[in-house]
Amino acid sequence: MNVYITSTGSHLPGPPIDNEQIENHLGFIGGRPSRLKKRILRSNGITRRHYAIDAAHNTLISNDEMAARAAAQCIEESGVPVQRIGMLSCATSQGDLVLPGFGSMVQAQLGLSEVELHTSHGICSSSMMALKAAYTSLRCEEQDTALVIASELASRLFKASRYEAAGLEETLDFNAEFLRWMLSDGAGALLLERQPRGQCFRIDWIRGFSHADAYPVCMSVGKPADGTDGRTWQDFPTYAAAEAAGALLIRQDVRLLDNIVKMGVDGFLRLIEEGLVAVEEVDHVLCHFSSHHFKSHIFGMLKRAGAAIPEEKWYTNLYTRGNTGCASLFIMLDEFRRTRQLRAGEQIICMVPESGRFNTVYMALTVTGNKS
Amino acid sequence: MSNSPLGQECLRQLMQQWFDFERRLNRVPLIRRLEAGQFTVEDYRNLLRNHRQQVIEGSRWISRCASSFDRDYSDLRSVVIGHATEEHRDYEILEQDYVAAGGKLDDILQARRNAGTEALHAFLMYRASQPNPVDMIGAMWIIEGLGQKMAAGWADRIEDCCAGPGVTTRFMRYHGDNDEEHLEKLYSMIDRACRTEEDLYDIIRTAKVTGRLYCMQLEEVDND
Repeated sequence: MNVYITSTGSHLPGPPIDNEQIENHLGFIGGRPSRLKKRILRSNGITRRHYAIDAAHNTLISNDEMAARAAAQCIEESGVPVQRIGMLSCATSQGDLVLPGFGSMVQAQLGLSEVELHTSHGICSSSMMALKAAYTSLRCEEQDTALVIASELASRLFKASRYEAAGLEETLDFNAEFLRWMLSDGAGALLLERQPRGQCFRIDWIRGFSHADAYPVCMSVGKPADGTDGRTWQDFPTYAAAEAAGALLIRQDVRLLDNIVKMGVDGFLRLIEEGLVAVEEVDHVLCHFSSHHFKSHIFGMLKRAGAAIPEEKWYTNLYTRGNTGCASLFIMLDEFRRTRQLRAGEQIICMVPESGRFNTVYMALTVTGNKS
Repeated sequence: MSNSPLGQECLRQLMQQWFDFERRLNRVPLIRRLEAGQFTVEDYRNLLRNHRQQVIEGSRWISRCASSFDRDYSDLRSVVIGHATEEHRDYEILEQDYVAAGGKLDDILQARRNAGTEALHAFLMYRASQPNPVDMIGAMWIIEGLGQKMAAGWADRIEDCCAGPGVTTRFMRYHGDNDEEHLEKLYSMIDRACRTEEDLYDIIRTAKVTGRLYCMQLEEVDND
């Protein structure tokens, strides 16, 4: 039983924010400009991104509303009646509410009735986990049509006031600031069906390899700034105490980041060994590398191993749409589909290496049919 | 850059062996403490004291390996001899680091090989004693790679965790500087060493066993 991605949609909130405007938007911590911003932006190569908050830090659109907008575009363009959607599978790093699951909130926004619901929790790879859950449901013929949505509203974490509340005006460290200049907001949606529809993508396989048992946490929310303090955010007597200890900030342990490149290459080599990937047959690579810096690393390693895919086959919209975490790959696939002339039979490899605690997920798609 | 299809296959499999080895290393309690920032000066001294035996034995198996190559492999022999010469007094720097970290010179001089070092040494001497032991490329791949890892990651971590008067990581840093060149040499040796499917199998197996026994040696640091 084949499964096809028959439609895509995306939503990027507000106008694009360039590198000049970014700090005005997120705010100056302690009233002073960042010393690290330029360096981090140069390394990640991002030139524009979108935020769901305005410069006064009002939230203009919620995470579940963004998800619903991406989904509405996806459904509308497919021509599939909403009633036919039997499953809704959603992903986000942080919903608007801590509970219930993000999927419930998105379902209500969309007004979808009586769907089978799935929410996957994690960081960048959670969208691929949500996609796999829907894919397997269709593969085993329990569902005919599934909507998969990934949405992120990370900017609320990056308000200057958050860092000030943690008392970091003077002592903001690289690990706490790194993601501030990296992540932004947006949503992407995919429609899955068991029959092809116009030009669409057949999902050939989805495979993940997680290495959480072998590596420490690399990206997190919930750990206090003091690395020797073993408590997590809910262990503090009040949320105010947790925030003051820096436990509500998003952090990246940059020292561990190179491992994501290795794990990304490792998974790719496994898939080659298993015969799932033949390098010379790949026509396009859509890789959610979180920053430009990693692209050259992944490239160098694959080249050395004789597994390189020529650079012109790599597609990304990271630089102009920003790093939207778990939504990135869906937003990328949506723009890729809209802007590229694709031929039936072309093979696409998608890669999502997540640094949270090192989960890498891969997917192979084959272009089916022709553009109408 | 490796060119032959077999050489590239070998390199791909060696990379996978390396990634697997790194994950296994991270599961060793001593290294888990290091990566989690809970490593102590005592851990560092124990690591150096145990590691010294392997460094000393290292120059022996490399020399043995060189002498096992016959005239048909004289080019490989030359590279391996060069390597052995560069490293055979390394352990003296290691001893200085041990003393700087508060250890007694006598303690490190009199330390015995731990159970893992015994196994690793025995395996490497056995393989190095075979005629034309091309598979030793697999062992060098793991051990040189670790040298780079020590210099690029462990040395900084140790200094962060054990910050105190006199703690030095000269052995790890110096060793890593050299290993960068050694790895480049290894890349270029792969095509030469891996010419048949049998060579490929042997190289990968030796890399795998070396990695497993190396982890055992590190596990035994806590049991020493």
